[in-house]
Amino acid sequence: MSLQNTLNSCACRSETAKGAASKTEGAIKKPTYAITESTEGFALTVNLPGVAKDGLEVTSDAGEIRVVGRRNWKRPEGWTTLHRESVDATYELVLTHDNALNNEKISAQLRDGVLNVTLPKAEATKPRKISVG
Amino acid sequence: MRIIRYNQPATRGYARANYGSNRSPWAGFESEIDRLFTSAVGNVAGHTPTQFPVDLYEDKNNAFVRAELPGINRDDINVELVDGSLNINATRKTKTGDDEKVSRFSRSISVPDTVQSDKVQAAYENGVLTVTLPKREESKPRKINVAVS
Repeated sequence: MSLQNTLNSCACRSETAKGAASKTEGAIKKPTYAITESTEGFALTVNLPGVAKDGLEVTSDAGEIRVVGRRNWKRPEGWTTLHRESVDATYELVLTHDNALNNEKISAQLRDGVLNVTLPKAEATKPRKISVG
Repeated sequence: MRIIRYNQPATRGYARANYGSNRSPWAGFESEIDRLFTSAVGNVAGHTPTQFPVDLYEDKNNAFVRAELPGINRDDINVELVDGSLNINATRKTKTGDDEKVSRFSRSISVPDTVQSDKVQAAYENGVLTVTLPKREESKPRKINVAVS
């Protein structure tokens, strides 16, 4: 099973972005992420600096995994901006897959601005050893 | 001794460079210089620390530096103030199975000498490092009431 076929960053993003625009207001930034595959499943790592647990939404449905992260930090009053390199945009990552995941067992953990999502493969797609009688 | 990998130049033949109507006579030389740079820089790229986005703010009493450094242990973040520049060094260790991947991040920001260097504080939350640099008393904006007689 190739990674490209299973978990694709949504190429049809402009289409999904329309639907997402109603959910996420303002600018949207695609976070940096990495996917590794093992026999058990996929591990998705998303860098979301500045996002706390309550600003994070991970949804999985209909062959789509969506990660939305909002920054909870706001510039306190009295602070003047001297120089900016980061952006305030909401992070949004949409990954499509071919439903070969065990939706029930998806788990996610956010620590120090890094989200780790474990995406176990569905039993049917795992390699199976067949004994020869 | 350093061994520099030799990459074949993309465009061969310096003599031909002069004949192309649009090409500058230096084209061959330029591409050769480019190649030299890519091979020299490409060689050390794996060891060069990555930069990260930094925001600077200030209020009446402090200057603030906010740096996006997700997924780093607090022990692996090193903040120091040396000769008017704030150096932030961080190492991210990611474990996948048995192998550990180490990425290094480094950034140096020059800060005005009006900062009280002994009172600098740093906090790390949600993958963002905030360094607070208190200003010296004399550099703070002061309101002086002048009695008019």
